[in-house]
Amino acid sequence: MSFSARFCQGLKAAIPIWIAFIPSSLAWGIAAQAHGLTLDEVILMSAWVYSGPGQFAVLVPLAEGKSALQVVVAGFLMNLRFLPMSAALAPFFHGVNRWVLFFSSHVISASSFIVPYFQFQKEPAGEPNEPAAARSTAGYGRLAFFLGVGATSFTVWVVGTAAGFTAALGFPPGFEEAMKFILPGYFAGLLVVEMKTLTMALICAVSLIAAIPGALVSPRWGWLVTAIGTAILIWGWEQWSLHVSKSS
Amino acid sequence: MELTRIEIILIMGLMAFAVRVLPQVCFVGRQFPEVWDRLLRYLSYAFICGIISITLFMSGARFEKEAAPFRAVALAVTIIIAHRTKSAVTGMLTGMILVLLSSWVR
Repeated sequence: MSFSARFCQGLKAAIPIWIAFIPSSLAWGIAAQAHGLTLDEVILMSAWVYSGPGQFAVLVPLAEGKSALQVVVAGFLMNLRFLPMSAALAPFFHGVNRWVLFFSSHVISASSFIVPYFQFQKEPAGEPNEPAAARSTAGYGRLAFFLGVGATSFTVWVVGTAAGFTAALGFPPGFEEAMKFILPGYFAGLLVVEMKTLTMALICAVSLIAAIPGALVSPRWGWLVTAIGTAILIWGWEQWSLHVSKSS
Repeated sequence: MELTRIEIILIMGLMAFAVRVLPQVCFVGRQFPEVWDRLLRYLSYAFICGIISITLFMSGARFEKEAAPFRAVALAVTIIIAHRTKSAVTGMLTGMILVLLSSWVR
């Protein structure tokens, strides 16, 4: 499949993300205007930081003129979650020029990570002894799909925040509630469709429940710590079981 | 030294970019051993579920206890429909309609 065909495939897969991004980007644009940011600052932040939760987290301290260090540290902590996402995608881009990856990595977000990640899991993995050219072609194909998702979602986010800034839209309460469900609902659907083993189901159920007390203890880090803890614990238990069954 | 808002945004963006780009440049094409690959996959699944949970049930540091039962039912229906139809979008749309209906009932 050509680069443009794969890009279009990613573009189609991104449509639910766009639908989810529209209300949240509009909401952020409206909030930023209410807190006194200028249109230039709103567009720069959406395009350069490109992180919904990070942008929401620093909006008030930034607008209120709190210390620069506090704003930067809060933003960094929120954006650290991109590290495992980027690391999980990297092995799929074998043979792609590092400069291309350098620039394309900017459009990694929670949503543009999840959709390609599930897609790449479904695709057959290349053989280790496969010719380098074939692996590189597959890498560029995956990159095209990733950009179809990531670049278009990025555009929707930036345009949406600017639109929210210029037009303060008011959503009816019920409409807002339904919009809030789009992204988690879509992610849950993707997880279920792709789920193959009981271990996966266990990890999902435990981290879904444990995230709430975790977030209550620490709104910024709690859910992340419980997710990491759950995955490591169940993975460790699985490794231990495998070890015991091999040795007996 | 006082920094302008634009300068603060530029520094924030630079740090976000560094977090995104480092694994891309350092780990590209590298196949992790099966054991580590599995851990990475488990971390991703746990991470996604954490995002789902806090997006649905939390508002900042507050648990949205009034809306939570309705959203939990909508999530459960989404999961069942997606599992039966093998379509994430169908599941999501069904859950969305349920959330919309429940917000009118409340």
